[in-house]
Amino acid sequence: MLLAILLIIIPLAFSLISFVGGRKLAPILGLTGAMASLLYFLYLLSNYNVRHELMYNTSMMWIPEIKGIFHVGIDGYSVIPLLLTQIVILFSVFYSFSKSESKSGAYYGLIGLAHAALNGFFIAQNPITFYLFFELALIPMYFLVLNWGNADRRRAVFKFFIYTIFGSVLLLAAIIYIHAAVGANQLLSWKEFYFNSFPMNTQLFILVAIIIAFGIKSPLFPFHTWQANLYSNADKPTVIILSALMSKMGVFGLLRFVYPVMPAINLYQPWIIGLCIVGILYGALMAWKQTDMNKLLAYSSLSHIGLIAASIFILNLQAIEGALFQIFVHGLCVTGLFALVGTLESTTGSSSIDASSGFARKNPRFATYFFIITLASIGLPLTAGFVGEFYMLFGLSEESIFYALFAGLSVILGAVYMFRFYQNSMFGNAKEVSLQSTPLKLNEEYIFIIVSILVIIFGFFPRMWIDFAGFSFLEYLEYLPK
Amino acid sequence: MLAIITLTIISIFILFLGFSKNRGMILPLGILALAVALWSIASGNTFWNEYLTNMISFEGNSKYFSILLIIIALAIFPFFHELIKRGNEELADFIGIILLSIVGGLLMVSYQHMMTLFLGIEILSIAMYVLAGANRRSVNSNEASLKYFILGALASAILLFGIALYYASTASLSVLNPTIKNQELYQLSILIIMSGFAFKVALAPFHFWAPDVYQGTPTLFTTVMATLVKIAGFGAIFQFIQAQHSLLPNWIVWFFALVIVTSMLIGNIFAYNQSSVKRMLAYSSVVQAGFILMGFLNFKEETSWMVLFYLSAYCLASIVTFMVTYFVEEQSGTDHIHSFAGLSKSNPILAVVMTVALISLAGVPLTAGFMSKLFVLKNANNIGLTSLVVISLILAVVSFYYYFKVINAMYSASGDQKFKIPALYQILLVCFSVALILLGIAPSLLKMVLQI
Repeated sequence: MLLAILLIIIPLAFSLISFVGGRKLAPILGLTGAMASLLYFLYLLSNYNVRHELMYNTSMMWIPEIKGIFHVGIDGYSVIPLLLTQIVILFSVFYSFSKSESKSGAYYGLIGLAHAALNGFFIAQNPITFYLFFELALIPMYFLVLNWGNADRRRAVFKFFIYTIFGSVLLLAAIIYIHAAVGANQLLSWKEFYFNSFPMNTQLFILVAIIIAFGIKSPLFPFHTWQANLYSNADKPTVIILSALMSKMGVFGLLRFVYPVMPAINLYQPWIIGLCIVGILYGALMAWKQTDMNKLLAYSSLSHIGLIAASIFILNLQAIEGALFQIFVHGLCVTGLFALVGTLESTTGSSSIDASSGFARKNPRFATYFFIITLASIGLPLTAGFVGEFYMLFGLSEESIFYALFAGLSVILGAVYMFRFYQNSMFGNAKEVSLQSTPLKLNEEYIFIIVSILVIIFGFFPRMWIDFAGFSFLEYLEYLPK
Repeated sequence: MLAIITLTIISIFILFLGFSKNRGMILPLGILALAVALWSIASGNTFWNEYLTNMISFEGNSKYFSILLIIIALAIFPFFHELIKRGNEELADFIGIILLSIVGGLLMVSYQHMMTLFLGIEILSIAMYVLAGANRRSVNSNEASLKYFILGALASAILLFGIALYYASTASLSVLNPTIKNQELYQLSILIIMSGFAFKVALAPFHFWAPDVYQGTPTLFTTVMATLVKIAGFGAIFQFIQAQHSLLPNWIVWFFALVIVTSMLIGNIFAYNQSSVKRMLAYSSVVQAGFILMGFLNFKEETSWMVLFYLSAYCLASIVTFMVTYFVEEQSGTDHIHSFAGLSKSNPILAVVMTVALISLAGVPLTAGFMSKLFVLKNANNIGLTSLVVISLILAVVSFYYYFKVINAMYSASGDQKFKIPALYQILLVCFSVALILLGIAPSLLKMVLQI
């Protein structure tokens, strides 16, 4: 029996065992759970038909009192984020091994819970289920940051938590509102959701609610103030999940929710895209000025996510395809980059950019991985980053050449700050600490190698993945009220 | 009727038992009384009912409220074993009084006549005044008792005034099918009766007694106050509206909406910066009461399960939070938020159950608290009060702040000294938090338990 719901159950089961597994057993359980989930997903994928609208779905009456239906399944949109989730969680668990102190069972249990919730989020096929997992994913992340990380993490995570809750209550208000408006249709799936054409002021209400909700989660420009602090204070495996997956929840949510507010979006498009572009440039400029590696990556994330959000709001085929592909690539790149930064930090004991200058001299392998991932991150042709950015900018230019022009500046700025980062940390006057060669730990090196290989492979063969997004987009487009 | 008689007789018997040395008997006897009451109500026993026709009725929604009331009382009862520490006499007094207060609660949720209502409210309230002052040597406890007594008496007087006006306007004290002779007087009586009820369940702006009384009362009895009184109070409101809802004036929706918004605003603002956890929980109970009142908008007889569900979610979570606070207070001598620091190290089980209860109170998905909020919010939205939904949700963000402040404290710092509590309590608390999660996953379970 092939069911998407097993993608929730597998990590959940392993996480529950991990909680009681103790220090010895929990790491193995965590790794097995992540691996099992990845393999199962690949198996599902091998039987997935691109032209099929929805597969492996489970739907059952969950809350009969309000006609709430639990509905999960895999459609074209969810394939890429799901693949990313399985890979990134696996890396995150694997990377946790390298820390000197061993983590308790609760740590791997919480990662497993986050994994289950994220999988659930991406396979949710109606708004109620979607909201359930949207909020559920936050709780294990909150406890992960609360218990493991730098000294300042508690303030940072509290701010993040309250911000996100604010967004998610607005989303809940919007969903309750829609649920009441739709009435007897019961919100079976996204199809029924898109069928309804809401009046203009309803759409406006939903638009504001979803932009704030997902804008905080992503984060997009005016709602990003929690980000840099959290990323620099949380533990590295946690940051990997936060930056690679939690931020994708935001943009993925936008992708799911922009259809019902279609005319309203078109009306306010210049403003929304304008805001996104401000965010893109602001993030890039801020990243340029950072001296802390984590903060630099946080702001570069802000810039990249802004571009993804802008192309989702454009709603044309190329932009959506590019956005979904970039969700994957950005997730991979930040995973690699944060893992690299983590290794640098533990070697030099500092998160400053130039603390490790001259590191390349004695650690050429490390510098090579770093270089490949950096290239993918700035979108050099023949790496995966190029494909996504090209599609997105192309999509933006279909709407207006100015959008593409300003958003495209971020590519140049991206090269500037990433190369500055690379140059200062790998070359330059060698510090004492960089002159000794530090042998890479095996698990870290595996992560670097796999990420480097993946970003190149996906750069050569993007077409198949892009198709998943494209077919789904065309499919859903037909539901829209004309 | 059998339930009320059993409870009364056994409670008096227990009071006398205080003179003997058999303190081991007291608690089992109390639990037995509750079990008999539960059985007699759940089985629809009509024994001796003929003496009180048209005064009380344990049918329909009253039955569900009664069952919930007794189940929650049964859940709290084992914790009264702690009272044994305080000597023979007091244990008997308090158990007897609590059983009496449950009699009052049963009358409040099943009345069909205003006199029964007043009787029930008075029995319940006087028992609570005594419990508030249970700790005779503490100034706070005495203050709580006095404050509760004076303000409660005032509220009772107001309620009685409302009842008098009700009588004047309908020429009857029965709540069923009144014939309204004077519409203005009737509407005024509704307003005043509702205000009296609002005092009992601590809805703003009638909530001023709650924080002081909750804080001053010994924590074991605060649990009773926060759970049984709320169920009885909302049961009474429900009973009243159920009988009258076709006659109620239209402005009652706006009155409710106003009370809801005020409760949420005031409760959240004052809970925001409390350093005493009991005070914080008191203000949060004002907010929760506002949410429960949302279930009364768009009133139908079938919507009782919404209120019942909210009440059971809230009561289970309250029992856990107050009992954990009790144990922490026993340990450190204060309920200040700092005394929760490092609880995850010193007693992980308490920390986990407290976390689940607080998360449920805040309303995170897959806990009963979320489901109950979803139901009442959807209910409010169904009659077009979208702005009320948005306001209450935005204010709910504040509630996340103060609930998670406690969670933050529990998981921060390193508590060195480990403290243990008896295994029975741990098992019970774990059961309650599992129940909270189960109800959040499958809300229909409640219907199975109450046999709706």
